[in-house]
Amino acid sequence: MNPRIRALIRKEVWHILRDWQTLLIVLAMPVFMMFLYGYALDVNITDVEVMVEDPSPSAETAELIRAIDESSLFKVTGVVRSAGNPGDIFKKYHVKALFRFSSSFAADLRRPGTPASVQVLIDGSDQNLGAILRNAVEPFLQKCVLSILHVPVPVSVTMHQIILYNPQQKSAMYFVPGLMVIILMMISAMLTSLTITREKEMGTMEQMLVSPIRPAEIMIGKITPYIALAGIDGALILLVGYFVFGVVISGSLLLLTVASLIYIFAALALGLLISTLVAKQEHAMLIVLPATVMPTVLLSGFIFPLTSIPIVLQWIAHAIPATYFLIVIRGIILKGVGLAQLWQPMLVLTCMGLFLLAVSIRKFKVKQ
Amino acid sequence: MRFIRLIIWKEFSQIRRDPLTIRLIILPVVIQMFFLGYAITTEVKNTTITVLDRSNTPESASLVQTILHNRLFRFAGYAESEADCRERLDKGEARLALVVPADFSKTLSAPAGADVSLMIDGQDANSSNIASGYINAIVTGWSVDVLRQKLAARGLRIQNVLPVEVRPVILYNPMLKSAWYMVPPMAVVLVTMITALLTGFSIVKEKEAGTLEQLMVTPISPAHVVLGKIVPYVVIGLFELCAVLASATLWFRVPFRGNFFVLLLFGLIYMSSSLGIGILVSTIARNAQQVLFMLWFLLIFFLFLSGFFLALENMPDWVQKVTYVNPLRYFMFIVREMFLKGSGFAELWPQGLAMLVIGGVVFGASLLTFQRKVS
Repeated sequence: MNPRIRALIRKEVWHILRDWQTLLIVLAMPVFMMFLYGYALDVNITDVEVMVEDPSPSAETAELIRAIDESSLFKVTGVVRSAGNPGDIFKKYHVKALFRFSSSFAADLRRPGTPASVQVLIDGSDQNLGAILRNAVEPFLQKCVLSILHVPVPVSVTMHQIILYNPQQKSAMYFVPGLMVIILMMISAMLTSLTITREKEMGTMEQMLVSPIRPAEIMIGKITPYIALAGIDGALILLVGYFVFGVVISGSLLLLTVASLIYIFAALALGLLISTLVAKQEHAMLIVLPATVMPTVLLSGFIFPLTSIPIVLQWIAHAIPATYFLIVIRGIILKGVGLAQLWQPMLVLTCMGLFLLAVSIRKFKVKQ
Repeated sequence: MRFIRLIIWKEFSQIRRDPLTIRLIILPVVIQMFFLGYAITTEVKNTTITVLDRSNTPESASLVQTILHNRLFRFAGYAESEADCRERLDKGEARLALVVPADFSKTLSAPAGADVSLMIDGQDANSSNIASGYINAIVTGWSVDVLRQKLAARGLRIQNVLPVEVRPVILYNPMLKSAWYMVPPMAVVLVTMITALLTGFSIVKEKEAGTLEQLMVTPISPAHVVLGKIVPYVVIGLFELCAVLASATLWFRVPFRGNFFVLLLFGLIYMSSSLGIGILVSTIARNAQQVLFMLWFLLIFFLFLSGFFLALENMPDWVQKVTYVNPLRYFMFIVREMFLKGSGFAELWPQGLAMLVIGGVVFGASLLTFQRKVS
């Protein structure tokens, strides 16, 4: 290797090791976020708190209330004779739904031909939960009542679900690849843009530029240690994923490594580009957030499936590296597929990295 | 009092000199607000589906057509075999595969009913759950239709067979718009970022430049320095709160059913925590970069455990207990309840009290550490 690049790498490594607080955060952040996701993320909705208004208590309504409480979806936190103004119940007890039985509920239930009526008030503030409850209450109550009356549930079609790739629906299988995508982008883009703006602020960048080192060599020398650092972070995520959350990589580890390196490279090039645009460290950091992390989190398909977002945003999504890396990494970790199925996104990712690097080197040269 | 006024004046002129920083803090929040306001639908649309119809009867065709005509799904062609289904899922051409067995029509009239199976690409647990829930609902609806026709042939009405009538009514957000739920809390995110980051920056920069020591040798006491420094950010924070409120109600048309002044009061109480965190972090950190890193770290943690996008009720008990010390949790809750339910002081005082206690502790601790560090 070129001795000038080697000297630059040594200098950069020394910088990284000297600021141990930042290094600690860089290494602890991914692990910390994994534990947050691991314990806080549960996609299954259970024990939604509800209350019941039962104006004329009877054996039937008591049994129905017990059935609601014992279901996995609901938890009955209170039964009242009269709800008064239902709004007050929602404001005071923060329940998500209020079941209101009619006063002739038990009588109607026993008399054929007159269905007993239940009104279900649902707190729609959280539109997600509101939609789930709206769709669930009717079939749920029908089933409960039928089983109380010992009437067989009329069925004609039953659907069996076969869940592929993540049969137990473990949330770890979902957030480990996603976190890889986010953290590698954040660390790589932020650290490179910071190290370059720092040299700019201190004036040492000018000193380096008047030395015999060429701009491209400065860039390579600055980037290399961060590729290694981001690589360590990536390995850390996979190790914690494997040992703590039981995420097994079903595809090729080698392919995963190569793909991650390509992605890190693209992210670093993006960081370089940002650093050519601003002069101050805080500005670099504050730009990295909206320019890299937010699109990565919101548009890569990690949280919101790509097909559900508006078309303009889908275009943007296809212009960011994270989208392609997420396809590749989910393919390798979850589906266990190889290069045959993944060469397209990998090629796009490589081209993006080269393009970003070329642009930033050009910008860098023009500035001097 | 004169000293505090001077510091406030100095701080404001410094903010004016570096408008880029404030813009860069506001920018991501604005982007996010528009994204959350417009882009997020909890509907999972355009899910690709492939079908393997082994039965090939009018009944199976009717079921398949009912699913394919739903605008939530996009038909990705018929599959030839189960292996073909699997391959299409592997390649990502389809995310769901419906398999109708050969004996579908025959078993449909049997007491046990017919079975269909659905292969689901489970990579993204949440969206595949939702999509399969849709299919389930369509299949159930279709089979109720079949039941209705059968009953009608015997001269019965389905209402007379089903013993209950359920009438769901959705309150507060009847159209189930995500903007109504996601946009108001952006006020909390923005106020937190502005107050914590800007105070943190302003203190640590004086430290870096060495001007903090100069301030300390003047007759101004450390407490006065801190008070003088935070007043401008409280003003900016309140201003931002109003700005988000205005854009939420005027642009995104989210109804605000609470009392504006009560919200501002809660905002002020909340800011004692966020400002305190900013001061605390900047006293510990050595440079602006560390302040940003630490605050980011804390903010991610607080946002995660605030109920902003992950419901607190779903978290394990001990995690829920941890969230009780999170000031964001209370303010987020207050903002949402005030916006949509129109709750007021009578219902929300416990949250306000919790914020007051947390804010008092954090702010007190930050003042103490600041005093100890500088003297």
